[in-house]
Amino acid sequence: MKAKILIANRGEIAIRIAKACEDLGHDFVMIYTDADKDSEHVVRYADQTGKDQKVWRISSYTDPNEILSIADHTSCTAIHPGYGFFSEDFRFARRVTVRDRPLIFIGPKWEVIKDLGDKINTKKVANELGIPTIPGTSAPIYNEMEAESVAEKLLLEQREQGISDPSILVKAAAGGGGMGIEEVHRLEQFRQVYREVKNYAKRQFGDGGVLIETCLRDYNHLEVQLLCSQHGERIHFGTRNCTIQSTGRQKRLEAAPGFDDSCFNYAFDANDVLEKVVDYSLKLAAHVRYDNVGTWEWIVARNGQPYLLEVNTRIQVENDVSARISYYKKKQPNLIREQIRVALGAKIGYSQRKIKFKGACIEFRIVAEDTGRDFAPWIGKITRFDFPKHDWSAVYTQVPSDRHYDIPSDFDPNLALALVWGDNIAQAKERGRAFLEEVFIEGETSAGEPMMTNLQYLAENIDRLLTF
Amino acid sequence: MSQQDTINYDAVLSKFREDPFAYVDINAMHTGHIRFHVREGDKVEGLTGDFRHIKGTLLCELTRERNQKPIHCTTNGEVSFVNKVLDGQFVQAGEKIMTIRHPLKKREIIEQILRDVLVPFAAPEKAKYYFAMDIQNRIEKFGQRSVSVKAGDEVFTMSLMKRDTPVYYTGEAGIIHSVYFKPGQSMELGEPLVGVCPPEKVAVVEKIITRVKAEWE
Repeated sequence: MKAKILIANRGEIAIRIAKACEDLGHDFVMIYTDADKDSEHVVRYADQTGKDQKVWRISSYTDPNEILSIADHTSCTAIHPGYGFFSEDFRFARRVTVRDRPLIFIGPKWEVIKDLGDKINTKKVANELGIPTIPGTSAPIYNEMEAESVAEKLLLEQREQGISDPSILVKAAAGGGGMGIEEVHRLEQFRQVYREVKNYAKRQFGDGGVLIETCLRDYNHLEVQLLCSQHGERIHFGTRNCTIQSTGRQKRLEAAPGFDDSCFNYAFDANDVLEKVVDYSLKLAAHVRYDNVGTWEWIVARNGQPYLLEVNTRIQVENDVSARISYYKKKQPNLIREQIRVALGAKIGYSQRKIKFKGACIEFRIVAEDTGRDFAPWIGKITRFDFPKHDWSAVYTQVPSDRHYDIPSDFDPNLALALVWGDNIAQAKERGRAFLEEVFIEGETSAGEPMMTNLQYLAENIDRLLTF
Repeated sequence: MSQQDTINYDAVLSKFREDPFAYVDINAMHTGHIRFHVREGDKVEGLTGDFRHIKGTLLCELTRERNQKPIHCTTNGEVSFVNKVLDGQFVQAGEKIMTIRHPLKKREIIEQILRDVLVPFAAPEKAKYYFAMDIQNRIEKFGQRSVSVKAGDEVFTMSLMKRDTPVYYTGEAGIIHSVYFKPGQSMELGEPLVGVCPPEKVAVVEKIITRVKAEWE
């Protein structure tokens, strides 16, 4: 069945989805806002007009009326939400599928997003199944006094465990992707931070609910990549490690597999822990009858104790890191293609046994930012943007290399995702260093100051990968 | 040379006398099917009523996903241009659909002249801005012209690339006389956010207000 897919997203992921549509023989339509008019995801497809028009301007990526209106006007049959925006919004997924002219939502069914897309619900379901989660609130708090009393209890518990500098995390309940999270060390700081997070959550997510959790230190942050179908098939593509993040908890370097004994002398059996988090993830997926791609996020303490953090019920930025260490019929799969296929009703068509894991992969998230100043976003014009090409690397970007480009201030200043892979983690690291040496990015601010990127930070942190 | 000396009141006022209108472009705020309700030459009203609770003239309706979005006029005047070919068509957000010729009021003329007199505080980056919590509370309680600021005060929160950053005032101390942005609105780099009136400029401001009130019908 040939589908016509509205890509309800922007930037590099919109381009990756468009490419996957082309590979599968499906037609597609792009949307964009004025701030993105110079992005590659727009310019590359802007030459078609009339009934073949591929790109449509909207007021906001978060206006469902406009998105559905364009889907109807252009006779689309499905909507791909990408990541962020509507990708984990069960109301949107429901609205797409339950209407006079139903469309296919390329993601899990809305009931599953409702169960797992909300980290509070996830925690509740996981606890029911005996899957370990981080100590803290299991429902959003809106009352300052109540929040303060929870904070006090969690800090006290840590002190009783002998932790010398206990702390808690105050999180926007409706947030995600590391946004709206603050750490509090002392109770007297709490009220101010609580108010700031609450205000931020209201502004950014429309809901001022806040979660409070014990802050675990000295941990690794792992991810398990799953692919499930509407026919009850459930397979995994291994684990990733995304411990190296910015101070705003945005991922910067990510590697697969999740642990490697050549990188660190772990105090636990690494393979055993990886197997455990995969098994727990599959158990939860089976329980909720998960039916698309998804990422199960885990915290693993230095002693090897895993805690389920949340489930991302969508394709994740870093999906390709897993794909590059997975082989089916000796080829690396494309998880966006797989996601579209299963959402359109196809079977996965192969079992876990057919997937062979080999080698290691590292992804660098290249961002315009000042890593020395709390990863402050950098704004300006990019005047040169060149990446090397190798048969062991891939680059995904919306930044053009043939013209100047103003970074839009409405979004994160992510410039590109660069992946390198090798036969083992040592080779991947070596190639990663070589790759970063060959990258050229130049630009300037409106005041003529030179561009800032995190390239040096990425290079300096390669050796920290997969360590505690 | 003082600010007072640099203003040629006669020249400024004659400019407004020659063309006492503002031309307000109306753009499609959303993508959808559009249906016009006014024609060129029609008189239109902005918000009216004691509490500005009565909506302005219905200019057009945008229909997206069966949701009708009426677009009402926010200012009074006359429709000077309508992009007629769009009537009944599927338009994209941001497309220009009509222009309203709005006769300037005394207050608006005063505001425009004061832009050259007040000390502007410009947006340090292209971003969305909000008043800082404390300033917002004082504005709500006492009104903006009762709020004074001095260098180093946290006046705004800049929301840039999903990150909130405090913005500190740098400039002459004074009261916030004019506000040029709406909270959450995206402002270009260098666009003035507020106009601050330092104590030594109060006399100039009062003179402008008196002059325009006296000479403008």
